[in-house]
Amino acid sequence: MLQKKICILGAAGAGKTSLTAQFVYSKFSEKYLSTMGVKIDRKKVVVGDTQVNLMIWDIHGEEKFKKITSSYLRGASGLVMVVDGTRPETITIAKEILQRVEQDVGDLPYVWLLNKADLVDEWSLSERHLNDLKEMNKPIYHTSAKTGEHVEDSFLALAEMLLLG
Amino acid sequence: MNKLPELLYQHIASHHIKQLELAWLKISPNSEEIISVGGAWQHYFQRLPVSGDSISDICEPLLGMLPFTKDFELPQMQLSEGQYTDISAVKDEECDWLLFCDVTEHTKQLQQYQQASNDLVLLKGELNRTLDRYVGHHVAERVAQGKLQLNLAGERREVSTLFVDIRGFTPFNESHDAQIVMQTLNEYMDGMLAPVLSKDGMVDKIIGDGAMALFGVLDSKYSNAQAAFFAAQDMLKNIATLNKHRQQQGLVQLGIGIGIATGDAVLGMLGSHDRRCFTAIGRHVNVAARLESKACAGEILVDLETYRRLENSDEFVLRRLFLKGIGEVDGYAYGFSK
Repeated sequence: MLQKKICILGAAGAGKTSLTAQFVYSKFSEKYLSTMGVKIDRKKVVVGDTQVNLMIWDIHGEEKFKKITSSYLRGASGLVMVVDGTRPETITIAKEILQRVEQDVGDLPYVWLLNKADLVDEWSLSERHLNDLKEMNKPIYHTSAKTGEHVEDSFLALAEMLLLG
Repeated sequence: MNKLPELLYQHIASHHIKQLELAWLKISPNSEEIISVGGAWQHYFQRLPVSGDSISDICEPLLGMLPFTKDFELPQMQLSEGQYTDISAVKDEECDWLLFCDVTEHTKQLQQYQQASNDLVLLKGELNRTLDRYVGHHVAERVAQGKLQLNLAGERREVSTLFVDIRGFTPFNESHDAQIVMQTLNEYMDGMLAPVLSKDGMVDKIIGDGAMALFGVLDSKYSNAQAAFFAAQDMLKNIATLNKHRQQQGLVQLGIGIGIATGDAVLGMLGSHDRRCFTAIGRHVNVAARLESKACAGEILVDLETYRRLENSDEFVLRRLFLKGIGEVDGYAYGFSK
């Protein structure tokens, strides 16, 4: 079976672990636990006629004094870039990560996940933010790790990009 | 420096190195093939790796990472639930090495600090958003940057104060379910508060169907009075749009009255030790409130000081008004009575 390593990246507290838990185990917990280092999960998906074993590297959130080690990205085929829709500043953090990744390991296929879509009242991303992301010409999904909205779709879209690429 | 005595070396080793549960794999240069294994291998792998095994068969996370051309580190890898391992890839002259160190205890200690730090970052963001919502983005930003002091002593400056209120709201409140009233008020407030924020005003307070806003606290390209008047005009436009939708749905029409006055006020924190809020105190604040109470639905009433500072003041009509607790004053009406 085809094996693909994907890395899930973004600011601390954006919901990377929750998205992975929703995608792999269909579970959600309200409790926030900081991820240390890397946690690896696996999920088999089917893209067309091909079975793919996704190895998902849930990497700790990027912080001012704790940058993501580029060695985690060795052998990665694609990225899931997560933004917290209630905190626009997490777009800047995600873009900084992306820039470093591109410098260290080159261009990788990726999708944007604008997470916490269930928090309608606290949603803080404007049209300007969206247009800014759209300019990067990558798929953008409004996801909710809580309700599961677009979680499966977004991971599958990346899997499809990996096979086509 | 003298050589460390063997006894002390053993002491340090037993306390620091042994708890790392070190294990290592010697691998063929530039390949994934294991040559030999050493140390506490059973701590990391389900079976004893043997010569000729592929590293990714023994340790799946390393799939795609080998062979390597220069040393690298994979810190805090959670190879199994709750167990953290530092993996180091080291190049030697004739072979490559992979070193596994158990850093669970240290990582769990770090996690507590990390958790506290991340919780604080999230809490700070949440507080900023709350401040944002109550006083507007610009005010929150200025407070965060220390450019606006919200202190008890207060600061005197000229501001324009605007009051807005729904006309005939009491009967509406009494004849509708509380949930409908809340929903209506939220729709209405959207249309009232956005103009305040867009004209660099500050929402001072929301009291049921009424709101008080201050202009002149924040820097603006408009004068205080002009900004307040522009905001008031936008409020009238917004209520007209809202009423259009309400009419299509067969709902009761809402009318608003607006009062604006300009003058010196003391800006500062008001309240007790446990509960304080930012507000403005000054004679003209009372005038603005009284003008609002006199304004008909669709009308903006301003005082003389505001009127004098406005461009296009010929659109106003002079009205002699008696304001409760203040007396007779000249008011200038825009809108309804024109």
